[in-house]
Amino acid sequence: MNKYCLLVTGLAPLLGATRTFAQAVAIGACMLVLPLLHQALLSQLRPTLSGAKYWLASLLLLAALASCLQLALRAWALPLALTLGFFPALICLQCLAIDTLLPTEGRWRQLLLHLTGLLLACLLLGAGRQWLDNVAGMHLAHLPSGGLLLLGALLALYNWLRPTLTRRQGKR
Amino acid sequence: MTAPVRSSLLLLVVGGSALALTLAWQHWTGPAIADAEHQLKAAQLLAVLPAQSYDNHPLDNALPLPADQPLHSKILAALRATHGTSPTAIVLVSQVQGYAGAIKLTIAIDAEGRLIGTRVVEQQESPGLGGQIADPQSGWLSQFANHDLGDRWALRRDQGDFDQLAGATVTSRAVIDAQQEALRYFDQHRSELLGAPGHE
Repeated sequence: MNKYCLLVTGLAPLLGATRTFAQAVAIGACMLVLPLLHQALLSQLRPTLSGAKYWLASLLLLAALASCLQLALRAWALPLALTLGFFPALICLQCLAIDTLLPTEGRWRQLLLHLTGLLLACLLLGAGRQWLDNVAGMHLAHLPSGGLLLLGALLALYNWLRPTLTRRQGKR
Repeated sequence: MTAPVRSSLLLLVVGGSALALTLAWQHWTGPAIADAEHQLKAAQLLAVLPAQSYDNHPLDNALPLPADQPLHSKILAALRATHGTSPTAIVLVSQVQGYAGAIKLTIAIDAEGRLIGTRVVEQQESPGLGGQIADPQSGWLSQFANHDLGDRWALRRDQGDFDQLAGATVTSRAVIDAQQEALRYFDQHRSELLGAPGHE
């Protein structure tokens, strides 16, 4: 699985629900917990189910998990849940993508690695946007478009700090 | 047992347990959600009062409303805040027709009939124009604090005392009307709203 695929499938919650650091922590935790639970439950079903039945079971589990997550957010963090809106439910899309994109071998290592990266991106984005909006006075960062620009800047910084990546890309 | 039957049964079990889990979870979190919603509503309605000015739970005993309603706005609820035994403020929840829809306001009035403050609870005004009434940074609503019925409750262009929100005359007039009518409503029903006077 390519880590940028994961980033793209999680782009909507990543940009829409990281206005403040608290929001970013919440949506990052949701993005960590929901795919992990989904994969843990599916790994029990994979030997027995296949094809359409597997998909149906996956969808049913996902619906139940997402509903429970939304209810839990409403019960214990209602003001936060109201600002997060429907973005926790959108993580389902990411879970489905993860399930198809993960390789058969070494699933868990890859999954944990990528989800940690995503959580880190979430936290950086949230902290950056809150700082830019409140301290630096750049109110563009409050909007999703500002979040996209900041994400681009973060990716550029990541590429710059990892010279091996660019060198590999440069080779023909 | 053949494989297709086994997988169908497993699917059925998965679906059933998913449904049961969701329903059980909903049942279990129900009271917590209701509690959180109640607290949020209370925080929204009472944000207009300074935190130290009362020590009761005004939301728990909403006052019975006198029957006559003001002309332009509608008083939805009246809450009494007391400190010790003496009433310190009345919070009137008022609804008035704005430019794009109904505006719901909480208007806090002290025992002498002065306005303590006004907050917007719900509004659908144009973002950036009338919508600025809900923006605490615009500070437009703070100009009304400490005014009472002795002031001229109108915009300066209508020979009144107050500035308007730029580009939102209808919204400004509606909010000013609602506040004046709330003050008048308080004045007319002062004894019912404040209750029996405390130990003088």
